[in-house]
Amino acid sequence: MKALWSLLIGLLTLSLAQGVPADWPDPFKMQFQRIQPSAIQPTRVQLSNGLTVLLIEDRTLPFVNGRIYLRAGAIFEPEDKVGLSGIFSSVMRTGGAGERTPDQIDETLETLAASVSVSTDNLFTSVAFSTLTENLDPVLQIWADILVRPRFSQERLDLEKGRALEAIRRRNDQPTQIAVREFVRRINEGHPAGRISSVASVQSITRDDLVAFHQRFFKPNVAVLAVTGDFNTQEMVARLERVLQGWQRGEVTLPSFPPPSPKPSIYFVQKETNQSVIYMGNPTVTAYAPGYSELDLVSRVLGDGFNSRLFTEVRTKRGLAYATGGAQTQGFGWPGFFYGASISRVEKTAEVIELMLAQFRDLRERPVSQEELELFRNNILNAEVFRFTSRQAVAERIARTQMLGLSADYYEQYVRQIQAATPADLQRVMQQYVRPEQFVIVVVGDRRQFDKPLSSLGNLIEVPLE
Amino acid sequence: MVWLILLVLLLPGALAQQLREQIRKYTLDNGLRVLMVPDKTAPVIHFNLMFDVGGVDEAPGLGGIAHMVEHMAFKGTPTIGSLDWTKEKAALEAVDKARADLDRAIASRAAQEEIQRLTAAYNQAREEAKKLALPNAIDQLFTNNGEQGLNASTGYDRTDYRVSLPSNRLELYLRVYADVMLNAVFRSFYEEADVVLEERRQRSENDPNGALSEVFLRTAFQVHPYGRPLIGSREEIQGYRVDRAMAFWKTHYHPNRAVLVLVGDVEPERDIQLVRRYMGAIPRGPARPNLNIPAEPPQAAERRATLEYNAQPSLLIGFHKPTYPNRDAYVMDMIDSILTEGRTSRLFRRLVIQEQAALNVSSSSASPGFRYPNMFTISAQPRAPRTTADLERFIYEELERLKNEPVGSQELQKVRNQTRAAYLRVLQGGPGLAQTLAFYELFFGGYQRIFEEEAIYNTITAEEIQQAARRYFTPQNRTVATLVTRGGSR
Repeated sequence: MKALWSLLIGLLTLSLAQGVPADWPDPFKMQFQRIQPSAIQPTRVQLSNGLTVLLIEDRTLPFVNGRIYLRAGAIFEPEDKVGLSGIFSSVMRTGGAGERTPDQIDETLETLAASVSVSTDNLFTSVAFSTLTENLDPVLQIWADILVRPRFSQERLDLEKGRALEAIRRRNDQPTQIAVREFVRRINEGHPAGRISSVASVQSITRDDLVAFHQRFFKPNVAVLAVTGDFNTQEMVARLERVLQGWQRGEVTLPSFPPPSPKPSIYFVQKETNQSVIYMGNPTVTAYAPGYSELDLVSRVLGDGFNSRLFTEVRTKRGLAYATGGAQTQGFGWPGFFYGASISRVEKTAEVIELMLAQFRDLRERPVSQEELELFRNNILNAEVFRFTSRQAVAERIARTQMLGLSADYYEQYVRQIQAATPADLQRVMQQYVRPEQFVIVVVGDRRQFDKPLSSLGNLIEVPLE
Repeated sequence: MVWLILLVLLLPGALAQQLREQIRKYTLDNGLRVLMVPDKTAPVIHFNLMFDVGGVDEAPGLGGIAHMVEHMAFKGTPTIGSLDWTKEKAALEAVDKARADLDRAIASRAAQEEIQRLTAAYNQAREEAKKLALPNAIDQLFTNNGEQGLNASTGYDRTDYRVSLPSNRLELYLRVYADVMLNAVFRSFYEEADVVLEERRQRSENDPNGALSEVFLRTAFQVHPYGRPLIGSREEIQGYRVDRAMAFWKTHYHPNRAVLVLVGDVEPERDIQLVRRYMGAIPRGPARPNLNIPAEPPQAAERRATLEYNAQPSLLIGFHKPTYPNRDAYVMDMIDSILTEGRTSRLFRRLVIQEQAALNVSSSSASPGFRYPNMFTISAQPRAPRTTADLERFIYEELERLKNEPVGSQELQKVRNQTRAAYLRVLQGGPGLAQTLAFYELFFGGYQRIFEEEAIYNTITAEEIQQAARRYFTPQNRTVATLVTRGGSR
């Protein structure tokens, strides 16, 4: 084998290029029309109990998919019961519903090769189903039972609490996981989005808490359901009226919270590892505030993909990281944040932090080139066609837009702002909203191998691992 | 791991027929196979270009070079990414010469000043070359044109390049990838080797699952290349040189060893003309060389490995087994579903729900590759205070049950239904379908094979499942890797 290899290498010279046929175009000069996607509009129906339903028929495959959104986000958990919404969504699905025991539901769904799933994030709890058309009726009934008549079996609650406690035991296993958790926690400090669960908060969760959470938020008149697939719209509406019969309207009041008030510092977690995970940034604006679109655009210049500045400086030019990038997050209800991140070799930790900070500062101090702006603007505009590749994604996006109370042309406004943005606009929003001297910086790494003590870069707070 | 799921999928009759009729296959004169699947849902095309080259094709000492080459194929060509090719070519040759001089000096233990001087000259040469290049030009072209999902991946058996673009960018795609196959320039090679070293740290060293997986494969495969880390060892990555990487590229990456799949807004009879114009310009290369990859000898006794690591305990168990088209490979796919697919699967129910001994359990029936005999693996994480030893005991009891009791007809039917629905779901996703078709075309003697598998699964009997369990789930055919918390008792 060795002989074969040296032979091959001996025969091949370093002649890297033979050129291309003379009639091939220069790829940088190839021009293409921007394809304007034809927006798919769902049919909108209101059921007798006030539930809004968005429906798109799609007969290409024998499937029906649906997802209902409710404003039962993690931020509405009681302060001393952080972790409740995650356990709630697990036990809602696994704890039995209507006339069925937990095992009967699992057995029926799996025999029909269908799924019903419940998931929660900061904003919403959603309950989804997916089934072959031929099994629509039984699956829709189970979905409705789980949504409206969950049994929250004590046994399954105990099981999920035990698994949640084990997950807490394991959450310091991976440096990246630690860094993301600490960063989200610090940048949202003072807001419920920054809370994290503890052994005590999980242990305190009772069945009554789950029932109360369900009763408080699960009302049809404040929910939106998106359904797509192989069905007839009128028949589907009749089916939904039938399975959701008895689900009654009600008043839901949502508390409001002050915006996050993070304390700028370098938060350091000691972990024996040969790479440092670095996150840095500050809260900016909500996704519907003036300046958001421009921040989104300039954050792509900073950290989106191979041609972004972080990627070019940290990875391409210096080979200091495999993973690096950044973004402006979408804030709904409270401000999103503008951030950058790197997973970098440990003996260059301080150098990488300074290099990253320099990228943020440069975007404040100098306007981006028109060429750089066009690259990322073109990406956003040309990629618009991908918003319509799946009908279920279209229907779910419209459902969320409605739940968040955004205007129906929210996205069109965003596109108009992206089209109009100038280098001066990007510099203006950077100066207005992104302040490196006030960053929350989280570093997970092994201090014995750092190139410089982190305290030389700013106020240092050591975060112990529980 | 996507592959593992795809293999057990089935397609019901009418849809299979419909899809089958839509797929167009062309073979260019240079051997490139092209598959097109029209789907008018949206004006986009999902591309997958797959080569039958991967980690198993690497020479000893060059571990991970297929993955390194995957990275380098994004670095452009003379016409994509060079500011002045004549000068850049000379500059790149100067980098290689400087690197070779430095290597020689280190090997012959030259004086410290000499090594310092050569290091400075090498760094200087790299800087000069960089000034003549537009880095990441391929990405820039695609970004400008609205790409989604631009990426590539390397496995033990294959490498694939994927991207989705608005459908009127077909010519751009072809212009770029034909040029790459003709004229790839491995610019910024040594910077990228550093990036790969960071990737290795991130995925295999600082991730407990990655670290355990390396130990497991090394123990289970003592001869076959499936036992080597796909990304290479640290020493191997540090030893990469551009000439050896280029030799690997020129040996293996040819149109006759590739499949190009286009799923989406295509018109086959029209678009194949454009495909021929560009991809047809690439010369045919040699067939896959016979690298005399040694077979893994049958295992004679249980093997065990322990990894002490700064993380909570974890367990990985594997059994050697044959690969497709051996019928037992399909039988083991069924066992995979019976054991861990869904909440009613045997191991999930036993370990997670009844015994409350595990946080999670999963299995795979074809790991870590497909071309050669591979493994059935089971992975589980204990829930304190239960231990990996407890989990092993429960898992072996369930495997014994498979050997001793025939699987009931209802359970068998459930597994068939699950695989059938899973297949339909793959058909909904453009990139997933493109990848599946490329894979079947390259490794199963033609994409049509997809449509023949349902029949195989439908004829597998409870008795065959029992026999396969008895044949493969034996202690002497078993490899067990355990992650033990460093400084802990578990």
